[in-house]
Amino acid sequence: MSVNTPVDPAQFDIEAIDLSDRDFWAEPPAVRHAVFDKLRAERPFAFFDEPTMEGMEPGPGYWAVTRLADLDAISAQPAVFCSGQGAVSIQDIPADLSEFYGSMISMDDPRHARIRRIVAKTFTPRMLEQVVDSVVGIVDDVLAEARAKAEAGDGSLDVVADIAAPIPLRIICDMMGVPEQDRELVLNASNTILSGGDPELTDEADPLTALIEAGMNMAALMERLAAERIENPTDDLTTALVNSEVDGEKLTHQEIASFFILLLVAGNETTRTAIAQGLLALSENPEQRARWMADPSMDKAAVEEVVRYVSPVTWMRRTATQDGELNGHSFKEGDKFLLFYAAANRDPESFENPHALDLGRSPNNHVGFGGHGPHFCLGAHLARRELAVTFRRLFEVCPDLEITGEPARLRSSFVNGLKRLPARLTGQR
Amino acid sequence: MSRVQVDRERCVGSGVCESIVPEVFEIDDDGVLQVLRQEPPADDLDGVRDAVQSCPARALVLAE
Repeated sequence: MSVNTPVDPAQFDIEAIDLSDRDFWAEPPAVRHAVFDKLRAERPFAFFDEPTMEGMEPGPGYWAVTRLADLDAISAQPAVFCSGQGAVSIQDIPADLSEFYGSMISMDDPRHARIRRIVAKTFTPRMLEQVVDSVVGIVDDVLAEARAKAEAGDGSLDVVADIAAPIPLRIICDMMGVPEQDRELVLNASNTILSGGDPELTDEADPLTALIEAGMNMAALMERLAAERIENPTDDLTTALVNSEVDGEKLTHQEIASFFILLLVAGNETTRTAIAQGLLALSENPEQRARWMADPSMDKAAVEEVVRYVSPVTWMRRTATQDGELNGHSFKEGDKFLLFYAAANRDPESFENPHALDLGRSPNNHVGFGGHGPHFCLGAHLARRELAVTFRRLFEVCPDLEITGEPARLRSSFVNGLKRLPARLTGQR
Repeated sequence: MSRVQVDRERCVGSGVCESIVPEVFEIDDDGVLQVLRQEPPADDLDGVRDAVQSCPARALVLAE
């Protein structure tokens, strides 16, 4: 059975569904989506106990939000549903740790907005026009290296390691001013930080130690770069961070470090996931691949559909700051909500035939970059550009790319990542 | 006359509006949205409506 053969949601007992069960996140995508379908249709605010974590008291649990309308309404009311109690962890981890790994993702306005503004302009569509050429250059370099490597051997390559990982890594490191020799460290640290407890990437018995070590390595790199930028300012983002003032004060070293980690990690993992999962989806939908390949005017719509279909980030958390009601659901102050973008992006109320990859889909009001609100993905326009250039150049330079085996999926509830995706270049161009 | 209003509490400077109607919207060097023409000319109104619809932070209103 193909992993994409539709699974009938009716086969699941709703009482037995547990999104906190790590094994659920190792299920094939079709199973996960069938479970989301069941929850969305029957229990759109479903309550779950929190996953257990070594050395931590279990928290009160959370509501899983799976309808797009509910998710968007929560995103659009940041005063009622805040991020400051943690947006990237289900458990209430200590505030300093949460801010260290989440930076402004786990902050509320006005501070969130002030921090975001430091880099906002760099990520606007107009400013990104200026980096298009360098994106094309990086993509072409990576594809040429991938081909050289494949052709030096038996033609095989790993889509993740050879194509999907290096493209966003080089682009974000260029923007941040991270030198060549430190990029391996950045890649490894972001893998660890977003491993979500995948046993291949973290020690299951002790996930926190690896996480903290990865954070320390990134912080040390930032300290070194920051010291250099204070001496010799450049036009990169790290210079902007060390020179910026918020509320009349320079950012502290820890604030700079966590912002630095956020930009690097977020700039890496999400686009990597969209490229790798996107290529997998195209190989599973050859008629869609042929359609897109033949028509560059589809790039914009197709990229949106890849982001919807893949939903690189599975969820973010919000916490209620007061008692209230939302679309018929009563909640109490302190209640946690997990916004399941992956589920909302397959909501039949918002998308016709939601489980189909339809690269010309219009309208496509997906929430792959987040719902409407202050935390809408800062890097959305950069990601769109990276994806449009990557797929177009792949069609032009590597039309002979063929997926040859099953992907190794990251066992994470948070990122819909692939660890490996075997492929080959057939040489038939 | 139609008038553009920005909810400053909501705006995050994503620059989507600027990419649609640069004649009306500009993100300044501090990442803050500047409205260059509070009362946009008729030619720009379709673009402004598109920008209002497209704002990821729902920070824009066109009072017509």
